[in-house]
Amino acid sequence: MGKNVLLVDDSSTMRKIIGRSLRQAGIAFDNIFEAADGVEALEVLENESVDIVLSDINMPNMDGISFLREKSGRDHIKDIPVLMISTETGEDIIGEAKSLGAVGAIKKPFTPDKVNEVLGPLL
Amino acid sequence: MVMMEVSPSEIQDQEPRLHSNSISGVIGLAGKVKGVLAIHMPESIAFKITGSFLGIDVDSMNEDVEDAIGEIANMLGGNLKTILSDSGKDIDLSLPTTISGKEYDFQSLKNAEREVIIFDTDGGGFIIEIQLEA
Repeated sequence: MGKNVLLVDDSSTMRKIIGRSLRQAGIAFDNIFEAADGVEALEVLENESVDIVLSDINMPNMDGISFLREKSGRDHIKDIPVLMISTETGEDIIGEAKSLGAVGAIKKPFTPDKVNEVLGPLL
Repeated sequence: MVMMEVSPSEIQDQEPRLHSNSISGVIGLAGKVKGVLAIHMPESIAFKITGSFLGIDVDSMNEDVEDAIGEIANMLGGNLKTILSDSGKDIDLSLPTTISGKEYDFQSLKNAEREVIIFDTDGGGFIIEIQLEA
């Protein structure tokens, strides 16, 4: 059975770019779900089978940090790994993300090789 | 991600200029340093960058182009935030916005220092502008 990924970014273009980078990196998913903010992401996680989440931090409605905090309080979805993909990769914000369960971070802009290097070992 | 050769050509402290058939991506800066960061470029370069991002041909202004240029402004803002944070000046970034049209200008903030850097690409030039409140 293949794996499913959830892409969370308020930019639909960035979601397309990440999806394209996954294909270029040779990482195949059965299903690629999309969400524009943390609220939508939680809704997808509640209703779909998702193996890993790639999430932005700076988003409207519910940002990536608030999404991690909310997710960590829901027992049935709290263990789904989240990899941050963001322009913001300072030690303070990534440290906060990791304390809330994020498994790593990729800085924008990124290359397919970088996506493969970081995401590959998590699958 | 942009997949084109880019090189800085000059730094200016010029008055705001009119932008024709262009698009601008803008990020607001708040915190210990206040101001705006903007990237201005002709539509033709914006179409080329968006096409490179998505692997498709782009020949008209649409939501993908606005989204792509807004995202570039966001990435520039993220880098600026990291640089400022490393020197003890923590800032917050706004969400990116875009402006596009046949002719518009981008006014300076009051009491702001303004730096303009012009970059060259094979397809023409683009401008990165930073305004920081003095």
